[in-house]
Amino acid sequence: MLEIKNLHARIVEEDKPILKGIDLVVPTGEVHAIMGPNGSGKSTLAYILAGRDDYEVTEGDILWNGESIVEMEPDERAAAGVFLAFQYPMEIPGVAGLTFLRTAVNAVRKKRDQDELTTPEFMKLVKQKAGELNIDIEMLKRPVNVGFSGGEKKRSEILQMSMLEPMLCVLDETDSGLDIDALKVVSDGVNALRSPERSMLVITHYQRLLNHIVPDKVHVLAHGKIQRSGGKELALELEKSGYAEFSEKAA
Amino acid sequence: MSVAVMKTKAETSLDEDFQKLRDRLPGGSGVLAVRNAAHQLFAERGLPHRRIEEWKYTDLRNAMKEALPVSIGDETPVTIADLIVALGPFAHVDAQRVVFVNGNFRKELSSVDAQSGVSVESLADKLEASGDADSGLLGEFGEGAPDDDVIVALNTAYSTDGTVVQVEPGAKIEKPLLLVYMRAGREAAFTAVRNVIEVGAGAEAQIIEAFVSLPGAADAGQANAVTRISVADGAKVAHAKCAADHGGQVTHLGNWAVHLGKEAQYDGFQLTQGVSLARHQIFVTFGGENARLDLSGIFLGRNNDHIDTTLVVDHAVPSCESRELFKGVLDDRARGIFQGKIIVKQIAQKTDGKQMSQALLLSPDAEFDSKPELEIFADDVACGHGATCMELDHDLMFYCRSRGIPEDVARVLLIESFIGEAIEKIEDEAVREAFTASAVSWLAAKK
Repeated sequence: MLEIKNLHARIVEEDKPILKGIDLVVPTGEVHAIMGPNGSGKSTLAYILAGRDDYEVTEGDILWNGESIVEMEPDERAAAGVFLAFQYPMEIPGVAGLTFLRTAVNAVRKKRDQDELTTPEFMKLVKQKAGELNIDIEMLKRPVNVGFSGGEKKRSEILQMSMLEPMLCVLDETDSGLDIDALKVVSDGVNALRSPERSMLVITHYQRLLNHIVPDKVHVLAHGKIQRSGGKELALELEKSGYAEFSEKAA
Repeated sequence: MSVAVMKTKAETSLDEDFQKLRDRLPGGSGVLAVRNAAHQLFAERGLPHRRIEEWKYTDLRNAMKEALPVSIGDETPVTIADLIVALGPFAHVDAQRVVFVNGNFRKELSSVDAQSGVSVESLADKLEASGDADSGLLGEFGEGAPDDDVIVALNTAYSTDGTVVQVEPGAKIEKPLLLVYMRAGREAAFTAVRNVIEVGAGAEAQIIEAFVSLPGAADAGQANAVTRISVADGAKVAHAKCAADHGGQVTHLGNWAVHLGKEAQYDGFQLTQGVSLARHQIFVTFGGENARLDLSGIFLGRNNDHIDTTLVVDHAVPSCESRELFKGVLDDRARGIFQGKIIVKQIAQKTDGKQMSQALLLSPDAEFDSKPELEIFADDVACGHGATCMELDHDLMFYCRSRGIPEDVARVLLIESFIGEAIEKIEDEAVREAFTASAVSWLAAKK
């Protein structure tokens, strides 16, 4: 279970507060969506959950299964089961996708006291998971994300997510830059990971993704705070009314 | 006006060693005359210093205060098992080996296949056998290359041995030729070796020079290595060098003179690691049209390492293509230097030349000096150069770590990513893997 309590955070370099008291609970097995206008702090929240050090938590806490993760390094959080699917997955020239995946999977397994995967075990697993996401294994022999289309990058993110077997999946604008077909493939990949043991936080600007990944709850984030929470129908309402209501609130 | 400058301790001892040893160096009286003339040049000029423009960033006179005793007739016992250890990842390359220990050829450690059209000989044997007929092996640095370089002169004076390779027109060296220059034994020494490689028209060769040391070798060493290589019309050569030592006070002074014929293709690569003071000079001359040069390299420095790569590429004829890509990783107080001079003569129209040097600085005290120099006298050319200096990418670091990869592993991965672009230039997979493994072992050795 993820519990975010009165979370305040700022950008370290700019001394600018971005999150101003977020309270949010995502129970185990549930999928929650966070929607909100541009600049509301959605991506900041995603980065802070994953432990990016450009941001500083100034007040409040983040509890993952009852323990605070605020002081944990990003790789420790990954080992503890937190995974962030990036809005803009990064390219790593000169490092083959398979090498990257295997390094990550075995680093995480080691920290979780699981045996590292042998090469045949790893290859079998990656072939199976890549197949489910329509990813050609040849693509993974190329450097990580280099020369990939937007859709390929997002599928590669979901493959990483699936390989690392996280318990908390944070998806940051996973729908951005995807056409309808790619959206379907990526959503199917995410839905395949839905389970009673796994929590998900889906961050999106548009309702369209939530047709494919149907959330248990929807929260509206604006001006660094959760302004409203509701069921999946809240997303449809926002699609009609837009975020104007929340910008007025600030004014 | 000439000003008498006090000789440094290093200059004095090199001078004295030459007087003592010159009669024992291989070759007849004609060869000795060549050595004497070279020594005279060195004695007059001394070691290069920072007031010489080309040596502005590497004040050798100051950096090499003492010269180690010159190694001659070394007999340090070395076994095949030792050789394998010293070679590290290069032991896995299926190659013909020509092995030298402290500058002396070791037949029992070498394995050269008899192949028609290809001859591989020890320079010392050749100089001894032919009397003065082969004095040019030492006397000429290379067509188009400078004939008064002091470091080359020092090599000419002292060379004890080296490899002479001749590939006849149309022949192809079947397996890569691995020239191994090993430091071994407790005696710290100055070694000078000379390679002369001639690849005939339409021939093909792959040659690797590995300057390595046996664990337990003296902490200090000084090597002066010269390779002259001529690639005749339509020939294809891949030439790589690895100067990988284990730290300590190791100096490497390297010189390559490369001459390319018409439609020749030459891929050169250099890796430097674990060497405290290195100066690599590469002189390339295009002697025929439509030739192609691809030069790349990686320099890895930490502690107070100082690694200088200085290139002069002379487009003396039209329609040739040159590419240079050098990448450095510098930690602690290490310093990297890249000087790349591209000359495009007036007749060299349709020249296509591109140069890039990049350094990754891992510490605020590390330094990279890059000096590209383009001297273009032709008006219809495409030439460009670039230099960058950067730190490890913060965003990429976070990306790796968010996937559970610990910081130290992520650092090595990202550094591999950085140098990968240069290593990928090596075409032969086994050779590329050996260079990669060598570089990775240096990255992982950070304490």
